[in-house]
Amino acid sequence: MVEVLEVTGTPSHIRDKALAMIPDGNLNACLTCGTCASGCPATGQMEMDPRKFLRMAVLGMDDQLERHPWVWVCTMCKRCYDVCPMSINIPQLIYDLRAQWPRQERPKGILGSCDHHINSDGGAMGVPLEDFKFTIEDLAEECRDQPGFEDLKADLDREGAFFALNQNSREPVTEPDELLPLWKILHTVGADWTYYSRMWGGENYCMFLADDPSWEKIIRIQVEHIEKLGCKVFINTECGHSFYAVWQGLRRFNIPHNFEFKSIIEYYARWIREGKLPVNSDWNTKGLKFTVQDPCNVVRKSLGDKLADDLRFVVRQVVGNENFIDMAPNRSMNFCCGGGGGSLQAGYTQERHAYGKVKLNQIMATGADYVITPCHNCHAQVEDIGHHFKASYHTVHLWTLICLSLGILGENERTYLGPDLAEFGL
Amino acid sequence: MTHQKTMGSVLIAGGGIGGIQAALDLANSGYYVYLVEKSPSIGGVMAQLDKTFPTNDCSMCIMSPKLVEVGRHLNIELLTLSEIQGVTGEKGDFEVEVFQKARYVDMDKCIACGACTEKCPKKVEDTYNQGLVKRKAIYALYPQAVPLKYCIDADHCLMLTKGKCGICAKTCPAGAINYDDTDKTLSLHVGAIILAPGFKAYDPSGKEIYNYDRSPDVVTSLEFERLLSASGPNQGHLMRISDHGKLKKIAWLQCVGSRDINTCSNGHCSSVCCMYAIKQAIIAKEHDPSLDCTIFYMDMRTHGKGFESCYNEAREKHGIRFVRCRVHSVFGQPGETVGQVIDYVDETTGRVTREIFDIVVLSVGMEISEEVKSLAENLEVALTPGGFARTNSFNPVATSREGIYVCGALQGPKDIPQSVIEAGSAALSAGASLASARGTLTQTLTAPEETDITGERPRVGVFVCYCGINIGSVIDVPAVRDFASGLPFVEYVGDNLYSCSQDTQDAITQVIREKKLNRIVVAACSPRTHDPLFQETLMNAGLNKYLFEMVNIRNHNSWVHKDHPAEATIKAQEMVRMAVAKVALFTPLVEAELSIDQNALVVGGGLSGMAAAKALSCQGYHVSIVEKEETLGGQANHLYMTAKGESIQDGLKTMVTEVTSDPNIDLFLGAELSGVDGFVGNFQSTITQGDKRSSTTHGVTVIATGAGEYRPDEYLYGQDPRVLTGLELDKKFIDDDPSLKKAGCAVFIQCVGSREPGRPYCSRVCCTHTMVSALHLKEKNPKMQIFVLYRDIRTYGEREALYKEAREKGVLFIRYSTEDKPVVTNSGDRLTVTVTDHVLQRPLSIQADLLTLATAVVPYRDAKLAQFFKVPINDEGFFAEAHVKLAPSDFAVSGVFLCGLAHYPKPVDEAIAQAQAAASSATRLLSGKTINTSGNVAEVNPALCSGCGVCEAVCPYNAPSLVTEGKEAGKARINPVICKGCGACVASCRSGALQLKGFEEGQLMAMIDNF
Repeated sequence: MVEVLEVTGTPSHIRDKALAMIPDGNLNACLTCGTCASGCPATGQMEMDPRKFLRMAVLGMDDQLERHPWVWVCTMCKRCYDVCPMSINIPQLIYDLRAQWPRQERPKGILGSCDHHINSDGGAMGVPLEDFKFTIEDLAEECRDQPGFEDLKADLDREGAFFALNQNSREPVTEPDELLPLWKILHTVGADWTYYSRMWGGENYCMFLADDPSWEKIIRIQVEHIEKLGCKVFINTECGHSFYAVWQGLRRFNIPHNFEFKSIIEYYARWIREGKLPVNSDWNTKGLKFTVQDPCNVVRKSLGDKLADDLRFVVRQVVGNENFIDMAPNRSMNFCCGGGGGSLQAGYTQERHAYGKVKLNQIMATGADYVITPCHNCHAQVEDIGHHFKASYHTVHLWTLICLSLGILGENERTYLGPDLAEFGL
Repeated sequence: MTHQKTMGSVLIAGGGIGGIQAALDLANSGYYVYLVEKSPSIGGVMAQLDKTFPTNDCSMCIMSPKLVEVGRHLNIELLTLSEIQGVTGEKGDFEVEVFQKARYVDMDKCIACGACTEKCPKKVEDTYNQGLVKRKAIYALYPQAVPLKYCIDADHCLMLTKGKCGICAKTCPAGAINYDDTDKTLSLHVGAIILAPGFKAYDPSGKEIYNYDRSPDVVTSLEFERLLSASGPNQGHLMRISDHGKLKKIAWLQCVGSRDINTCSNGHCSSVCCMYAIKQAIIAKEHDPSLDCTIFYMDMRTHGKGFESCYNEAREKHGIRFVRCRVHSVFGQPGETVGQVIDYVDETTGRVTREIFDIVVLSVGMEISEEVKSLAENLEVALTPGGFARTNSFNPVATSREGIYVCGALQGPKDIPQSVIEAGSAALSAGASLASARGTLTQTLTAPEETDITGERPRVGVFVCYCGINIGSVIDVPAVRDFASGLPFVEYVGDNLYSCSQDTQDAITQVIREKKLNRIVVAACSPRTHDPLFQETLMNAGLNKYLFEMVNIRNHNSWVHKDHPAEATIKAQEMVRMAVAKVALFTPLVEAELSIDQNALVVGGGLSGMAAAKALSCQGYHVSIVEKEETLGGQANHLYMTAKGESIQDGLKTMVTEVTSDPNIDLFLGAELSGVDGFVGNFQSTITQGDKRSSTTHGVTVIATGAGEYRPDEYLYGQDPRVLTGLELDKKFIDDDPSLKKAGCAVFIQCVGSREPGRPYCSRVCCTHTMVSALHLKEKNPKMQIFVLYRDIRTYGEREALYKEAREKGVLFIRYSTEDKPVVTNSGDRLTVTVTDHVLQRPLSIQADLLTLATAVVPYRDAKLAQFFKVPINDEGFFAEAHVKLAPSDFAVSGVFLCGLAHYPKPVDEAIAQAQAAASSATRLLSGKTINTSGNVAEVNPALCSGCGVCEAVCPYNAPSLVTEGKEAGKARINPVICKGCGACVASCRSGALQLKGFEEGQLMAMIDNF
């Protein structure tokens, strides 16, 4: 028998705070209809779901919520908020509750990454700028040895460059060979681009940590530096949360800027349409099947289905229309992979895997050989759940396939391709 | 005061069921009506429905007689393809500008043969069938349409858009096509306007969450209605739409486009969707009992008369599954796999469950279209923020502009009976405002002189109906027709797709005249609904209307023998043979004409009774009110505030003053009816007031006896002074009881005594009442903690806003089930209420200072009154109206009408609307001054009568009596005016002296001989 809960109806601190802080945060309006819980892959994890969470807040069970670890299992993917008939901003409530945790008690993985980023003025891995610089120069040198890329340019802080490129530190620090496909694409289309040196890491764990001042600091420094370089377009690579950190950061902190902020997926589509990126699917003679994951941060949470359509256009051009199998549901309605919101670093691995099972089932239903994940966290999570649940699919970034299609994918740039493509076109 | 002109005419905008009912009420009460309809034919949404809840009557079948009546009414001018453009003037004398689109078909010439449609090369989306199929660019809206005149869709016609084709003009045998037709603007003078434009169904297109745009297997409820319908695109055969595969599972998603301020901006509840989803699920199950039907809902809102038992039956008898979860979204599966995926959260386990459905029906809500909103703005008619017409509870159909009234969905989302009630209310209100001009613009019908058929050999005409596919898909109609042609005396045979449609009626009239037919047999549907229609047709042809026999080859044959078509055809032939044998023996019957006493009696002096009396008095009739209490007002004396925030005491006071000071109204307080004699048009009632007895004569009676409040025997009621009923709390509000402010925590328990075995109905008013009370408590003391323990919140229509406001102000709602009811104990200083939370699935305990029980509305089950007027009481104890859908304020007994709580629990605005509707029905009767009784009455042959008096004893209506003097003294005589033609006396007469006209022994024996 469950213990009887005394409800006094005394105003819940969480409820009132939500009401004060979030314009669409009147938790009382909740109809307990179940829309949120029925659409949430984190439902049932830790015996919790968004509806229960709200209900506990409404019933004043603050002490049970204030340190509830479920806030780190929820990825704040906004699937609930999209459809809640009363428009209750549940993800924002989760964010605010994360922020209520004493900073030092928040998950170490996320906390450490945020601190590294702030302290190093670079990225979440704390790598010194000198190392980043060296990596760029070294890799560029290597790339220029490949036929067709003799003139490839990759530089840092070049004033007047048209594009400033947002680079997640994962590639330069842990898998530098993954940088080359992106550079080759930029070179092929003749893009005039540069990296920027201050807060050069695109990732933003401070956002996951719900540490507003630090999130803001990273974005402000990036913006000021890019403005100084005079770039016209700030372009984000295949990384969802880094896109959202900037996109939302500019709004949330009201940061003035003159550049346009774009996802590289929009540019892939544009370059293909303009004929600058002459991809085709002739290479896919085996009829390998591909599906694509919609990163919540660039689709549902920011650019919407227009971006999802661009993404599909690019994928279809590259793998062949008949070889693309969409997930169901998809685009803005797609499920979060379970790797967002900092969950990959939050330490609740069992829950993250259970969450990812929803994505795994979706992928398996497509029967695809490859999952295209134009996002670092999606990539890591989809790859991880594939191993965890012993699925046989491969997980790749879009840049790998674009270069494969163009016949310019180098020998060392194939970590994530399966044996069927490992040697292809060499 | 300047003497201003008053026009005796009314313009009604909208030809749906509301507009139709209002038009008939007004036109039959002495006002000329312009019925303005946007589409080519009247009927509205009801014409698109397959069946109607909760009785599952065929929608078109019950509506069709009304369509025809409008179509042939002398005092109704139908303006189709027309819309109001502007209104000037004021109450009594409006000038309305009406824009009428060109039809391109001359309505006088078109004979509705359909040749044009057959040859038209251009296919267009069929809006009547929700775009599920195609129609042609020249078309009739639907087969039974009124007017049944074809119409060219100017946006798609090749001739009108490209100047080539012209096939229809070449095909039309009547030369009715006119490509040069032009749009017109008409200017009409009317005294009042009724807005009945109806609703627009919410359009889920463009909303990814429903997968509606992507999959044909996701349909709206209106589309599903067409799919269920025998006249729909699949002739009523259910199948998966994408691949025509077999259906196994159907899901209904409730609240699509309702109670949602995120994916749309419709905060209101659409009131009807829960019930129609149940209806559709039951019908689907009837099509195929192995179907798995699931309804996903937030609150089941079955708050209407008979709805709750329908809901219980759906669950218990039909095995329909109800899942309380608003689902997040619907999506398909990868590749070509069929089936729609629905994830829902199971409240008991807290887990997400996935199911695949073959069809998902979106229970779309009602909204007011932008066109109607701008029309309202143009007319200076104020709307609520939700887009519905702003009205006052005490004057529920009057808009903000004097002389303009509203009924149906524009007044607020509602179902058919409520729309019909408001139609009556609007007709009454419009009529009352023009009472001085009644009859100034109307014409009276002069039926053609009756042909004398005495001595003529029978010349029988037989018409066999396909009833669309209702009959035609089972019975071989041409075979029945041909069979009939060989029967004795048959001079003419014909078959019709829909015999009830207006053009067929006209055709039958013509055939009767041309072929000199003197007896008619129609083999079609039920005489109960369609007898009067065909009888009128006979009259139009100059035949006595009793020379007619109807054979029900639908209900009694094709519906019940659908799997045996060959046998069904033989049976139909036999049935026709019997009818022909009978009809040949018919003789013309005469009807007695009665004058109608122009006084009215209203039983009950509550809000409804007073409203009915006031309404009748405004129309110029004298009214007596009999009230059992010493004061007027009934339950309203105990009520504090309406859902719209009006003070009920203030409203009541005004009404009592008006009624008391009205010279046309006599009040009998502390009085009861102690005897009733007579019948429609001529009642004599005895009223007893203490020792005083008085007698009154009246032509009509309105029953408005109200209902009481349930006295609970649970939750410590009667044992603890802190436990109140809803009305007791209102009493404290009225008295401004200071103790209320001191309560720190108040709890409400809903459904006390309602929706329980023994009292299975929903009391309809309690959820809204609790919202109003909770909000009032919050107003008195914003710090008060308030909990509402409920089963389903039923704040239907715009009342939903109160529920939202209550939640937003911190009132907590906890859902309990009947298996686990709340427990109340006295813990000394406070009351302890324990209840299981529906989301957390754990017990909660609340310390309350005040507990209010939302108790049931209980009918008085007044058997004596029922006996006086020969009116029925239903199982639940409420009076049973003539027809739940289309005659909610009438009784089957003529001259007696019904309103208020005696009919069913309802709030102030609905009670007043129904009182006015009852008054409208009564006015229709009173204004006729005379009525005819039926010709099918019993008659005594004095030569055979032994004067035993058995007939007198068995008659339930007191029609027979023994003659006391004269030549026939001692013999029985039947008063034809009272006789209902039931035949009880005929069956019981031992001397064979009684015959029922139209069912005479010889006629019945002829049928048996021919069987």
